[in-house]
Amino acid sequence: MTWWNTSKRCNSLCELRGTMGVASIIALLPVIVFCNSIAHGETPGDTVAPFVYTEWETFYAEEGGLPNDHIFALRADGEKLWVGTENGLALFDGKDWKSWTEDDGLPWRVVSAIAVSKKTGDVWLGLFGGGLARFSGGRFDHFNQFNSGLVNDVVYGVAVLDDTVWVATTAGMNALNTVTGEWEIYTEKNAPMEEIWCYSVDAADGKVYAAVWGGGILEWDTATRRWNAHRDPDREMEIDLYRDDGLIHIITTSASYVDGVLWASTYFGLSRYDGRHWRGWMDHDSGLASNFINYTVGRSATSVYNATDLGLAVLVDFVTDTWVSYRRDAEDAETWTAHLWTGPDETTTVATDLDLPNHFIIATEIQGDDVWIGTGHGLARGRGTGYYNGVHPPSEKVEAEGSEP
Amino acid sequence: MARRWLPLLLAVTTIPGSAVSMERVYVGASVCRECHNTDQRNQYATWLGSPHAQAWAVLAMPESLEIARLSGIHEDPFSNPVCLGCHTTAADTEDWERDASFHLADGVQCELCHGPGSEYISPEIMADPERAAAAGLRTPTATTCLICHKEKGSHTAVLGPRPFNLEKAMARITHPGRGGQIDDAPSQASSGESDNPFVGARVCAPCHEGTDGAYLFSGWRMTGHADAWSVLGGDRAREIAAAQGLAETPLRAETCLRCHSTGHGEVGREASFDPTLGVQCESCHGPGGAHAADATGISPPVRPDRRVCESCHTPGIHSSSSVFDFESALSRVDHSRPTLAHAVATEIPYKTPFNLVVSPDGKRLFVACEASDSLVVVDTVAREVVAEIAVGHLPHGVCLSPSGDLAYVSNRGSDTVSVIDTSNITLAADIVVGDEPHGLTTNESGDTLYVANAGSYDVSVVDLTTGRETKRLSAARGAWDVARSADGSKVLVTNNLSHFVPFRSPSRSEVTVIGTERSVIRDRAVINEANLLQGIATAPSGEYSLVTLIRTKSLVPMTRVMQGWVMTNGIGILWTDGRVDQLLLDEPENYFADPTDVVITPDGKFAFISGGGIDAVAMVDLEEMISLLEAADPMDRTTLFPNHMGLATEYTERIRVGANPRGLAISPDGRFVYVAEALADTIGVIDVESRERVAAIDLGGPRGITLGRTGEKIFHSAEVTFGGQFSCHSCHPDGGIDGITYDIEPDGIGINPVDNRSLRGILDTAPFKWTGKNPTIGRQCGPRLAVFFTRIDPFTPDQVVALERYIQTIPRNPNRFRTGETLTPAQRRGKLLFEREFSNSGDVLAADQRCITCHSGPYFTNREMTSVGTASPLDTHDVFDVPHLTNIYESAPYLHDGRAETLEEIWTRFNPDDKHGVTNDMTKDQLNDLVEYLKTL
Repeated sequence: MTWWNTSKRCNSLCELRGTMGVASIIALLPVIVFCNSIAHGETPGDTVAPFVYTEWETFYAEEGGLPNDHIFALRADGEKLWVGTENGLALFDGKDWKSWTEDDGLPWRVVSAIAVSKKTGDVWLGLFGGGLARFSGGRFDHFNQFNSGLVNDVVYGVAVLDDTVWVATTAGMNALNTVTGEWEIYTEKNAPMEEIWCYSVDAADGKVYAAVWGGGILEWDTATRRWNAHRDPDREMEIDLYRDDGLIHIITTSASYVDGVLWASTYFGLSRYDGRHWRGWMDHDSGLASNFINYTVGRSATSVYNATDLGLAVLVDFVTDTWVSYRRDAEDAETWTAHLWTGPDETTTVATDLDLPNHFIIATEIQGDDVWIGTGHGLARGRGTGYYNGVHPPSEKVEAEGSEP
Repeated sequence: MARRWLPLLLAVTTIPGSAVSMERVYVGASVCRECHNTDQRNQYATWLGSPHAQAWAVLAMPESLEIARLSGIHEDPFSNPVCLGCHTTAADTEDWERDASFHLADGVQCELCHGPGSEYISPEIMADPERAAAAGLRTPTATTCLICHKEKGSHTAVLGPRPFNLEKAMARITHPGRGGQIDDAPSQASSGESDNPFVGARVCAPCHEGTDGAYLFSGWRMTGHADAWSVLGGDRAREIAAAQGLAETPLRAETCLRCHSTGHGEVGREASFDPTLGVQCESCHGPGGAHAADATGISPPVRPDRRVCESCHTPGIHSSSSVFDFESALSRVDHSRPTLAHAVATEIPYKTPFNLVVSPDGKRLFVACEASDSLVVVDTVAREVVAEIAVGHLPHGVCLSPSGDLAYVSNRGSDTVSVIDTSNITLAADIVVGDEPHGLTTNESGDTLYVANAGSYDVSVVDLTTGRETKRLSAARGAWDVARSADGSKVLVTNNLSHFVPFRSPSRSEVTVIGTERSVIRDRAVINEANLLQGIATAPSGEYSLVTLIRTKSLVPMTRVMQGWVMTNGIGILWTDGRVDQLLLDEPENYFADPTDVVITPDGKFAFISGGGIDAVAMVDLEEMISLLEAADPMDRTTLFPNHMGLATEYTERIRVGANPRGLAISPDGRFVYVAEALADTIGVIDVESRERVAAIDLGGPRGITLGRTGEKIFHSAEVTFGGQFSCHSCHPDGGIDGITYDIEPDGIGINPVDNRSLRGILDTAPFKWTGKNPTIGRQCGPRLAVFFTRIDPFTPDQVVALERYIQTIPRNPNRFRTGETLTPAQRRGKLLFEREFSNSGDVLAADQRCITCHSGPYFTNREMTSVGTASPLDTHDVFDVPHLTNIYESAPYLHDGRAETLEEIWTRFNPDDKHGVTNDMTKDQLNDLVEYLKTL
């Protein structure tokens, strides 16, 4: 456990550090640990016991549901799950599958991003090399760089906020006002975009966040209609000189904005921003399975799910810095193992029944208590039976270290 | 002069490709006058005495209103950009592009011909022709004049033929002269103090203009008094001056100015006073400073003292006449004679009922009347009108709240829904919705309103507790009418135009299904080979819905008309299990043109469908119809029945009604069907049991039938086509488009395909058709139409005249992308691109490479034939009529054969060689901006 990250309250030590000096803080360390324990209702000696997804079900194209095993995008919409694959779109309603390929009117085979409009229920699809599509009432409407104001057909991400559809493309961002039909383009010409390769976009609560590969995170405020850029202040590409000074790296892959907190994934670690403070994680000193994060989805301000090249890394609880990372421990391992971490220390492992052949996770999504992960070789759902937030089961005592919760 | 626009210009000068043109603003003729008002250079006086200077003022003439109507303009010509585009200067600019010294009321001024002058007005620049040209000074050519002076059908129809002779016109307005010392401008600075100074006509104008001001300012501007100063610049004035021994120019001579200008020599003239405006208001009505300061206080005398007139109009002063006839002279300058204001007040419109709804108790009808912009209330027992209330422009649809206490009226010309309190027939609210709202309905509980927007292709979902639109749901092209399912769980929406389909493919039209629980799209039912889906009704059983449709045969030349080879007319049956059937209402050689609306009796036994083109209502025995379908072979049902004209008599019979039946409503007890007889201004009453029209309720429209009304009836009647198969309306609903590309001419199958074009506001865009073959609408509707559509009995000459008159008056919709004068930043950037003279790399664009060259004037067409590289192997020629761009956003697809589904595609796909303007150097955001601007035209 890194003492300066034991609690939100103790994060203020980051500020103190600047004023008091390290030596003073070390002198206060016992007090700090005690305060942390009191803050979380623990008594010294208690262990944390996050929920672990041990029960999984897998889905493969050969079984007849998915059109393809190479999963690019996942999007939950209530009881439904939309799946974007290399060769088609699929919908799972909890029981049955339905899919669409180009033969069924899907404008382009590769579905790289999915968003659902809360207002209209329309499903917006990013098509990798094919532009954008709206899927509504069984009809596909195709928008590409020739027939619309879409800046480029290589679409990486899509998000919907009120009446506006935001599109992350390889040549900048688009905003489509679905009421007026106006397309706005944002590139380095009119946004603080050092690169225009936009990898992902998320939007909620009046904010839009674009993950720009090589350009950090761009934040758009719908009220002020202004962009703000978040980049790694130390500007180092090879190392993170000062942790928590800002975004951990500018090669960002996705952003997730939930409960007023921005989660940003990069190829060099994970960042969290609450509007005032940044926090970064890397794989060598936390439960993050790998710095190479393809996608991130925040469940809340204190919990986030990360699709990495070495498995699913879940920060279960930001306050206690508790992680659960799921991966295949060996190539010939039959199933995946969940590794529990608190801070930089692995505390225990738990067996699961997940048997996807590959733990290079491309997409992940939260659906209620369940979690979905998509890889290049299939899709899996972790059943959240008995799921609980945080690090303690609701009504059970914390088990002794090493035993299953 | 004020340079308040400077910051904005500086902000936009970084946009590449158009830097030079962006710096120029209009300064106004009064600034040009500072130099061009001397003996050597008296261009200003020459211009002031020319008709150009009165061009704006003449819009106040009552003839202007008629001309506007014939241009499809149903608003004040002074506020319409099409009229102003030729009758003033800089009409298409924003406020910041016009300096404070610029006045629209000065009509066609220097800068219309010579370009905005802010950058070339300095004497140093003007002295160097090259520098002046680089700064924007243009030398007009014949083309410049012809942008406005090409013959316009609307003007010819009202003012008579006035052939434009360019040479004579140039001789009349030419204003040579250069060199010499620049004199001081006539003093117009305030001269001394006074409690009641002269302020000048421009100060009078804001209050004494427009409808409220009886257009007095314009009236004065058209009199000889307004020219009084400018005539001093002419040869006659110089002769008179010389004869009187005056050495100086009459334009400066005190002797002349005393009578030829107001307030000359008087003490007390405000800085606003402009002596060059001649004998102004204050010459007759006295100094106006005190009145201008407090209009409710001192009022100047209306009728001038004759001694004032006689002080200048001394007999024999400039003529041989010995008598000054005061009364006669007064009548010549009287500017209270009939003007536009009077013309507006004397219009008496028809009603043209479109749609109607019955109150839950069956006692009242609420009728949306398009032509009178009103909702008429009818007592169904007394069968007479009991109330009428003004609503928005061009009301189309009407529905009631579940309790009947509120009526909702869609106004397709205002983009609003009027909410009427039915207890006292008062306007409760107006709700802003999408473009061209048509059909509407509430949900079962009455807290949500669904409005089909034909122009924006979507459905407005309105929360009736707040009176605000909460979301838009994507429908299909031309969302037209709506109906609620029997169980209230769904709202179904018909869409008038087909989806875009691959070239030379049959139509595919859609009925959009909305789930009312969450107000989201649930499904989209597709009806193949059909278009113009309009009316819709749901069966009480909930098993199916009926829609009206037309099956247009657009893929083969119109060489055959028999057996439905142009179009057939029928209904679609949409089953809740997803099946779709189609049946015709046509009989052999007895078609059912323009099926428009459908209602189903409460017992579910019969449906009634209005046939707008044949003045009849079809009564369909639904049990027979369903039996027929269920007994059919599945293959026959899907492939044969939709085209079978021998079936209709098995389940339909026709009931004759009044002219152009449109909307239908059925009484709650199912006894009566009420028919909106649009072009009879009546509501027909059909007795369901006797199957007869038993009454016609007069809505109180004018008794006389005008020429235009006659033409409107012809337009909507299928009488002249073989078997009554179709009418003009069939391809041009609401005077617009059906969104289909046609192969009309018998020049080979698939050869010379042409996209259907709108008829809204087209008179002054001649020639007509993509080939430009028809110089007038009359030629198109007469001989040309006879070749393909009418064959045996073409329209008579009188019918052609009437038809032409009606088509001329079909209004253009207000442009929803342009509210007021101000453009959005994207639109503004787009306008600069549209008018640009340089490419992004700084190369000069040749004239024929610029958008503005071909797409010039207030209609954005030079009305010439041009090649833009769009001819395909299917075309036998490569020059096409330059289309007008007004309301271009509503007429997709584009190009002569409709190959471009969107505006973007015109250039992204179909301009590889920059023959349709230079566009390949544009970045994507520039193209987006250009499209945003085009949508505002």
